[in-house]
This record gives sequence, C-alpha cells and structure tokens, in this order.
Amino acid sequence: MNEGDARVPHWARQRERGSFALMKLTAFGLRRLGRRPMTPVLYLIVLYFFVFGRRARRNVRQYQDYLAAWSGRRELRPRLRSVFGQFMAFGDSLLDRLEVWRGSLPLSEVQLHDPSGMCARLLKSAHGGRGEILIGTHLGNLDVCRALAELGEQVPLNVLVHTKHVAHFNRLQNAAGDHQLRLLQVSEMDAALMLELSQRLDQGEWLAIAGDRVPLHDGRRVAVDFLGHPAQFPQGPWLLAGLLRCPVNLMCCLKIDGRYQIHLEPFIDAPEWERSQREALIKSWVQRYANRLAQWCLLAPQQWFNFHAYWQSSDLSQSSGETDAHPRRAAP
Amino acid sequence: MEHVAVTREALERDIAQLIIDTLNLEHLTATDIPVDQPLFGDGLGLDSVDALELALALQKNYAVRIESDVKDARRHFATIASLAAFVGTQRAACAD
Repeated sequence: MNEGDARVPHWARQRERGSFALMKLTAFGLRRLGRRPMTPVLYLIVLYFFVFGRRARRNVRQYQDYLAAWSGRRELRPRLRSVFGQFMAFGDSLLDRLEVWRGSLPLSEVQLHDPSGMCARLLKSAHGGRGEILIGTHLGNLDVCRALAELGEQVPLNVLVHTKHVAHFNRLQNAAGDHQLRLLQVSEMDAALMLELSQRLDQGEWLAIAGDRVPLHDGRRVAVDFLGHPAQFPQGPWLLAGLLRCPVNLMCCLKIDGRYQIHLEPFIDAPEWERSQREALIKSWVQRYANRLAQWCLLAPQQWFNFHAYWQSSDLSQSSGETDAHPRRAAP
Repeated sequence: MEHVAVTREALERDIAQLIIDTLNLEHLTATDIPVDQPLFGDGLGLDSVDALELALALQKNYAVRIESDVKDARRHFATIASLAAFVGTQRAACAD
C-alpha cells in the first residue's frame, strides 16, 4: 500500500456523494425517458466514474484479486474488462433500484430462495409475532429485497442506515415514487434508540441493517478473515441482535442471468452472550457471516458494490473503539 | 421523610438486582454492590455495551425514558445511587 492510503476517505463520505449525484440524474432520466433510452446514458456515466475513479478501480481490482486467489478460480482474476464489468453491474443495479422504488419491478420477476420459510414468519409477525433482524449486504442489490414488501399488504420493515444522507435518499425515493420504506438513521447506538427498536420488534416490525459497512462515527468494529485477508466489519448489527435478544437472518439479492434471486437464511436463533465472552462470540458470528458472504461472492463475482478500500493495511486496523466494547470482568 | 428514605433504599436494591439479572452477574447479590461504587471503569467494571443493555432494561422496567444526551446519561449511570435518584425523579415527574 502506498502513502495515499492514510488519506483514504471513509466510504460514507467518499462514495455516497458521488452515487447520489449519479442516482439523482438517473432517477430524473428514468422518470422522464424510461429505462431504454437511459441505458446508453448510464454507460457514459459509468465510463466517467471508471476512467476518473482511480481509487475505486484499484479497490475493485483488489477485491477480484482476493476472490480469485481465495477460491482458486483463475478466471476470476482482475482484467480491465472484469473491473469495468463490476462498474457496469453497479450502474445496472442503480437502474433496477429506481425501478424497485417506482414499484415497477414486481415480485413475480424475483426468485425467492427461502428454505427456512422466513417469508411466512415475516408475514405472521404483522399479525402479532415479534420481529426479527435481517442482515443485508452490499453484494448485489439490497433494494430489490423491497419487493418482499409486496408479499403482504404491508410488511413492517425498518431499514437502519448509517449515513447522514438519509434525508437526501428520502427525497430521492419520494421523487422516484416510493413512499413506503421506513429509513431510520442510526449514527450512534444509544438508550433511546435501543428502546425504540425494542418496541418496534415487540410490535412485530422487522429491522434490516447492512452487515458489511463500518459506520463513520461508531468505532465498534471487528477484524475477521474475508477472502483470505483481514477486513473490518461492524459490530453494530450483532450488538443489536444480542441486546435486543432477537433472531438474526441473512438476506442477499443477486442478479443472475438477468434475474434477481433473493436468498433468505436463518443465521442465529437466539443470540445470547456471557459478558466475558461477548467479544469472542461477536467475532465468531462475524467470521461466519464473512464466510457466507464469500460464498455468495462466487455466485455473483461482479456484484460486490463496496468500492471503498475494504481491506485495510494492518496498522489501520487497531483503531479506537474496539477496546470500548471490550467486556471487563465485573468485580467479585 | 423516613418513608422517602426507605423507598429509595428499596429502589436502590431493586436496581442492583436489575443490574445483576440483566448482565448475568450471578456471582453477586444486590447487597454486594455498594450504592456509591462506580459502575463503570474501575468500580464494577461495566462497559458501554453493558450500559446499553442496562439502559434498555431500566426503561422497560421503570417506564422511564433515557434521552440520548451522553453527558447526562453518564452522570445518571455513575452509581446505583445516582441511577435510583434518576429513576425516582423520572417516575415522580410521570406521576404528576
């Protein structure tokens, strides 16, 4: 790694601004023109980001490199074409995202892989069960999971987001025609938030949160092996699960051969910890999550939409925060 | 006056028990934790995640609200005595 890495902006600052401008433009175009005439425009926009996004290009290359080495599949090694392909896949997912918001991507076009019958539980909780946690990822298209909302008249789903761009996104979503999604900004976990989330769960609402992005202000993170190299993952979603004593499921939506597949899997039935083992337990959950993520990456190698530097050099990994969540033994 | 003192003591004991139950400190009993012992850091040794867990339990059990102001929360959560005082005033405020 070179000296530039020390100044790498956090993803929340770096990425969302760019993609917001991009999405605003595509949202506008899509609304006015429809998808087909927008596609060449999208190519141009993506090309622009590809040509001038040196850092993002390097990060994508690194991801593809690690994926190929970890899986032993040489054909996945990064080439100019495959790196550009990942940028294009992102552009494509933006178009899909806007269609989802407009409600023009129906559930019938989405394949559901739900071996544990999670959808049934999701529906049931609207009629008096307790909610659960869904952990999503920026592999593939999270927003397509919104199609799940079509399952019932209304599946009570709250999406927890970290960034301050929520207001922007709300505006953008409204512009795109989506008024249903409930976004909750979570910049910090505090007592009031915990109570609110706990009450929502008790009312049968579900919480969705991304498990693969470390928030800007909350330093609680944990480094685990991902594609053969240590990467930082947030502790937040797992702390929530443990604090709220709430079952955890994984959710992932990949576009395969032009069609979306939503994968829903149970992950932790009843999270509970001993204080002294909390940190180790969270790390084991996150490692298991990273392993699952790696397998999903192989299903859709170019849909890893984390364009920021995902693997930090080791000297950055000892940042503050981890010690904060370190359980000390209570005095006897 | 005496009545107030008794209820506060009872509340302090209740809160100590809540701490023990919530955080699974099974090796302790309510009377083991001095009411003026710091809960965090060098005292009982709780951390920020314990604080969240505790805050959630307090809010549920005593129907109080703990606002997000970090400075205030830190003051209220310093000891069992300060927690009892906080819950006491909050409940009095609600009763009015």
